Amino acid sequence: MTDDFSDQGFADRAVKRLPLVPPSPGFEAALLAAYDAWNAERRNGSWAAAWKMGLRRFSETIWPGAPIWAPASALAVALLVGAGIGAAWPAMTSAEPVPGFSLERTTSFSLLSPDMPQEDL
Amino acid sequence: MHDPDAEDVAKAGRGDRNAAARLIGRHTPKLLTVARRMLGAQAEAEDAVQEVFLRLWTHAARWQPGKAKFETWLYRVMLNQCYDRLRRRPTAPLEAAAEVADSGPPPHAGLDEGVLGQEIARALDALPERQKAAILLCHFQDCGNIEAAEILGISVEALESLLARGRRSLKTRLAHWKGLAGDGR
Repeated sequence: MTDDFSDQGFADRAVKRLPLVPPSPGFEAALLAAYDAWNAERRNGSWAAAWKMGLRRFSETIWPGAPIWAPASALAVALLVGAGIGAAWPAMTSAEPVPGFSLERTTSFSLLSPDMPQEDL
Repeated sequence: MHDPDAEDVAKAGRGDRNAAARLIGRHTPKLLTVARRMLGAQAEAEDAVQEVFLRLWTHAARWQPGKAKFETWLYRVMLNQCYDRLRRRPTAPLEAAAEVADSGPPPHAGLDEGVLGQEIARALDALPERQKAAILLCHFQDCGNIEAAEILGISVEALESLLARGRRSLKTRLAHWKGLAGDGR
């Protein structure tokens, strides 16, 4: 336990002396310029920009910090699996006519009584 | 829980350039230092920080204060950026890594701040990436254990284990710097 505290104090003193890494000249200005570009794009609000931003936000929601292709490929794989399952096991509804509801039988149906004279239609 | 950044994040999301400048000024030095220590190369660290801020701007308008601390989110995105970049690198064989010569200065008893800083950086660089991240978050960024565990996406127990191993390695590598041993030790 004492060793743990001693290691903790040592690491604390050491890492506190770690010098801050100075940014390259103009780096912070470049960050601000990137903000300006983003802001201009946001204000212009083109459909493509909105779609791209939406996609980025969506990806950020489901997988924070991941590159945009990661959630996109996960969704694509899910879509392929779904389509594969759909192709392997066709729809539950059969193409054969449902018994008791054939076309022949439905033609004998009429909205009106068969006894009704045709001229009344 | 008061989040000193929450107001500026919301303002930056609405297009307030001054708020964006404040966030950049407040967080860039430490983000860059963490990225530099994680990635090793200055240019790559700056690319990673730039990507983090781009993500911040796109996320800022939807930021919900009180849901999570802004810095927790920021460093999580930062470390994910670093891990992605590290994963994309070609891996060197382990045998080759073991033969890398130590180009550092000879051991000193005194404390030359510049040389010491370099040697601490080198000792950190030698740690495995998860231990390094844990050490940087807890000792450089001053995160509490719960927050650091949340950033790293691990349990507090796992974080403590990473910290214990990382601290021990640091102490072993920097043992010859007497001034770091503390009072009476």
